[in-house]
This record gives sequence, structure tokens and C-alpha cells, in this order.
Amino acid sequence: MSGLGEADRLLRERGISEHFGAFVAAAAWTRDGSVCACALGDGTLALADAAGFRRVAAHDGAALALAPDLGPAGFLSGGDDGRFLAVAATGEITEIARFGLKWVEHVASHAGGCRAAAVGKKLHLFDQTGRAQKQLDHPSAVTGLAFDAKGKRVAAAHYNGVSLWFVASKSDNPRRLEWKGSHIALAWSPDNDAVVTAMQENALHGWRLGSGEHMRMSGYPAKTQSLSFSRGGKFLATSGAETVVLWPFTGGGPTGKPPVELAGGDGVLCTRVACHPEHDAVAAGFADGLVVLADISSERILPVAAPGRGAVSALAWSADGANLVFGTETGFAARVDFTKR
Amino acid sequence: MAETQQVPVTVLTGYLGAGKTTLLNRILTENHGKRYAVVVNEFGELGVDNDLVVDTDEEVFEMNNGCICCTVRGDLIRILGGLMKRRDKFDGILIETTGLADPAPVAQTFFVDELVREKTRLDAIVTVVDAKNLAARLADSPEASEQIAFADVIVLNKMDLVSDAEAAALEERIRKINRFARIHRATRAGVAIADLLDQGAFDLSRVLERQPDFLEDDSHSHNEDVASMSFAAEHPIDPEKFNAWISALLAAQGQDILRTKGILHYAGEARRFAFQAVHMMADGDFIGPWPAGAKPASKLVFIGRNLNRPQLRRGFLACQVEPAAA
Ligand SMILES: [Zn+2]
Repeated sequence: MSGLGEADRLLRERGISEHFGAFVAAAAWTRDGSVCACALGDGTLALADAAGFRRVAAHDGAALALAPDLGPAGFLSGGDDGRFLAVAATGEITEIARFGLKWVEHVASHAGGCRAAAVGKKLHLFDQTGRAQKQLDHPSAVTGLAFDAKGKRVAAAHYNGVSLWFVASKSDNPRRLEWKGSHIALAWSPDNDAVVTAMQENALHGWRLGSGEHMRMSGYPAKTQSLSFSRGGKFLATSGAETVVLWPFTGGGPTGKPPVELAGGDGVLCTRVACHPEHDAVAAGFADGLVVLADISSERILPVAAPGRGAVSALAWSADGANLVFGTETGFAARVDFTKR
Repeated sequence: MAETQQVPVTVLTGYLGAGKTTLLNRILTENHGKRYAVVVNEFGELGVDNDLVVDTDEEVFEMNNGCICCTVRGDLIRILGGLMKRRDKFDGILIETTGLADPAPVAQTFFVDELVREKTRLDAIVTVVDAKNLAARLADSPEASEQIAFADVIVLNKMDLVSDAEAAALEERIRKINRFARIHRATRAGVAIADLLDQGAFDLSRVLERQPDFLEDDSHSHNEDVASMSFAAEHPIDPEKFNAWISALLAAQGQDILRTKGILHYAGEARRFAFQAVHMMADGDFIGPWPAGAKPASKLVFIGRNLNRPQLRRGFLACQVEPAAA
């Protein structure tokens, strides 16, 4: 890197950006990859196609959660106004449900036809028409949410473990993955065999669903807020250290194997990670606002945005890996084009 | 300084019926020029429709050291993080605990979670007590004395229901448990809001500045009653000796020691070191220099059960660089 100007070159030449002045709580892409959105602390969503950003009023309070909707061109959004919304790429909003004073803290969907919203201890499932399907109870508030790759099961993290629910099951008895302590984020491996959580005590915990084996990954100076499996599941990228920490999930790992560490040296915490959907590469955002793309095998680092625009608080790739969106705590948001020119 | 960016958080404790909800309603509706986000457990009680009211279920989580006193409020870590996403919408945060709640997990949350520590600051624990029923509550439940022990500010409410003599006796009773809290007498929770919020009351330095005579009239008890004790050291403190002593003390007796606060004069250090702990969770930082003209001296306060005064004094004085003139 030669100076901050150079570190900003990608953003300058291939990005569109705007300063919204409100905390970017989450970012996501439509499934067709055409439009990205940032959920903002002032309750609006900032939607961007290739031409630029525009604002849509969504929540009365803060927008807290955002995910692709099950269709090709929409989003799901949750807010501290208790509303669970479907937001079309055009900006049109349909309320799926309203939960009063409780916050909608996590949302997710699977293209196969299921939408999920976590509200306190309950996980609410809806179908594509917006009809309520199930209310699933947990011993404490749900802190992380993910469907498996096939959309058959949904995992919810909570105090003392994770509950796995079969979406179509009539009985609604979850498989409980138990581990004492407070689990605060969750990821499901692409082969559906590993579920990993981040914990309050600066460590990760994981379960192999086939063998029932536990995995522990520790050594972080801060809490991991962001977890992302690489394409094919070879690595799990994580935030919470002054590097991008990648745990190997092949060859008997991660237990007993040292992690790969990328993009360190500045003494600044990594706050968000997002693995590229097509290549073994990971985008990472840092507490000083730096955003980089790191190639995992060559360990080459490509700067995307220079420090100075607030701690990176949201980061997401489009499904084809052509575009990246990121946002910061101070309200900067950008969409960057990575297609070959 | 970073501290000015941190959002002040006030914790409101007290038994059901003591006047907590009346006080909350006043804070939410009175025109005092400030906006507060309010975290409540029993929303039905609150007659105010306000987009800054958050309804939560208290979730007390153990830390993974397995100790029963090392607990935090998991729901608060999430909610404070969520509120920080619309940080510009309020001046402070109020957290109401349920009537029987132990205040320790709330306070400890501010010691344990990095993000909570970075973005917020525990300003004060305010306990509302019902003057008419306080004696009965103290007799029938340990939580009542704990709520008083943890308080930085106590609102002695329903004063219209007791005589002056009864009120004086109640204050004396409160002082036996916690000599360092400020007491406001009130009827229908009628305390000036400015006296309760954003006072920095959790910060010991201000408490000590307000109470220069705090070393006199120590109560001493070696039983199950909660009591407070304070100690002064004339000579500078050796930081290593102090850390070793206080760590061992809190590890061994932290379940009984509810709160510890100290202002320390470290040898060769011009700034004051502020120390505080809730049960076993401790924290310390250098604060400004000693007030002009004041002779630097270290002070340490304990509030808890089974406090052994001679043992605590010996331990503290042994941390001095110069041998204590016993
Ligand atoms: Zn403990």
C-alpha cells in the first residue's frame, strides 16, 4: 500500500458511496445480485443499484436486521419497532408481522420458501405468502439464526447452546446442541455438518452434527461478531482479532490446528468478515474503517477502502461475488464493483 | 476524552410498589430537556407510549468461571448494543430492574462486556424504597438490603406516610447498610430529576469529594447484615502489593463483598487511581490529579457481609510503600 489515496483507489474508481450519518446495522444483497441494501440506525434502508443509493423509510426506530428475501429481488428487514418487513428491490414495503415492543433482532430466509424472524425467545417462521407457520420457543433470547444450505433446518443460537429445528416437522422437538455459556452469533458450514457459534468469552464453539464432536477455537482479544465460511467450507473466517482469523475445517481441523491469520499489522481490530462466494478470498472490515480483500492461499491483500470513515459494521458479497457492499458505525456506505473490466 | 462520548446509564431498582414506576413515568413525561431511552421489564405498569421504551426479559447469565456471583445481564448486552445504533436519539439510558432483582448482574455487565464499556458508562444505581414498608422488607428478604447496599442514590419515598422520627430512624437504618449513598426524601417520587440522572454517582471520586468526613463513625459488624466500612492510608500505595492483596481478597470473599470503591495514591504518581469492584469483578483507571492544596491520601470503602474490620485494615495498610505507623 502506498498511502491512503492508493488504499482508496478501488472505492474511488469502482465504487459508489454515500454518507448517511446513521449507524449501518446490517447489509445484504437481493438473491439476483442486482440491488444491495444497508439497514440504518435511523430506521431507513439505503438501497443501491449500479446507479446509486436511495433511501426507503422502513422502521420507526432503528433497523436492526437485514437479509435477502426468498424471492430473487427483495429483502427481509427487522427493527426495534417490532416490525418484520418484506422490502422489494424497488423499495415497496409489505409488513409480514408486527411484534409490539419486542425487537426483531435477526431475520433470514431460504429460497425454498421459508422466512424467519427472531423476536426475544421466539423464532417465528412464515411462508412466501407471509402466512405464519410456526412459533418456536427457546430457553432464552435468540442471538443468531441460520438456515442449512438446503433449507430443511434452521439453527438458533441462545444461552447454553443452539437449537436445530426441522422447518417442515410436525412435532417441533429441536435437536439441542449444548455448551454452557452465552452464544452470540452463529454460522452453518456449507456441507451442513458443522455449526459454529461465537461466545461472550472471546472464543468460538462448534459442533459436528454427524459425529457429535465438539470444537473449540480461542485466543481472541475481543468478541467475535462476524463469522463466515469460505466457498466450499475449507475455512471459517472470523472477526475479533487484529487480523482476519481463518480456521481450517479440512484435514481434521480446526481442533489442534493453528488458524491462518491475514491482513494484520496495524494493531486494529477486525470487526466484519465476508467470504467470497466463488473464490477462496475474504473481505474484511476493521475498527478504523479499513476494508480489504484478502486472497487466502496467496495471502495477498487488496485494499478496498482506506481507514477514516468509522468502524466497519456491515459487509456482504452479492451471490455471484461481483459486488461488495459495506457500511460503518458512523453511517458511511459503499457498493464496490469487482467484475473484470 | 472518550468518556464524554459514553452514554450515561442509570439503573433503577426497588420493590414493586415502592414508587419506581411513578418515578419512571415522571422522567418520561416531565419537561426536563433531556431524552432517555428506558429499558423495562413490566411494560404494562408504564402508562407511557414512547418509542424509546424497550421491553426486555431479564436474562441473568453466569460467566464461565462457574462462580455464582459472577453473573451478567445477557439481555442488556444486546439491548445496549441495539440502542447504540440510534445513539443520537437520546441523552441517557435508564434500566429498570424487577422488584426482587439483585442489582449485581446489571452492574457487572458494565465491567465485563467490552462494547458496553466502550460505549456506555454506569452513572448511578438509584434505589427507590418505600418508607412505610422498608423495615418489613429488610426483615423478610435479603434483596432489600442488597438493593440499598448497591445504591449510589436512594429515594426514600412515601414520606407522607411516616413521621419525622420514623424517617430519621429509617435513614439511620439505611446508613448502617450503606453510608455512602445520597438519600433524597420524597413523596410520590417527587425528586428533582436533575438530582438523579447523569450525576456520575457511581464514580467514587465525586462521592469522596462530597463526603470529606466519610471516615468517621464507622459501623462494624461481623454478621450477616450488610454493612459498610472505610479505610484510609496516609503513605503512598505500592500498586503491585495492592493488586495482589485486593485480587486475593475479592477472589476469596467476593461473594460477600458487594461493592468496593477506592481512590488510591500510588507511589510516584501525580494522578489519582480510582478502583472499584462489584463482587469479584474489578476495574481501575487513573483519573485527574489530586485537588490543589489537598494532601494525597488513599481511601478504600467496602460494602458487604461478614466484613472483618481489623483484617481489612491490616491488609490495606500493608499495601503502603512505607510501613504503617500502627
Ligand atoms: Zn464470583
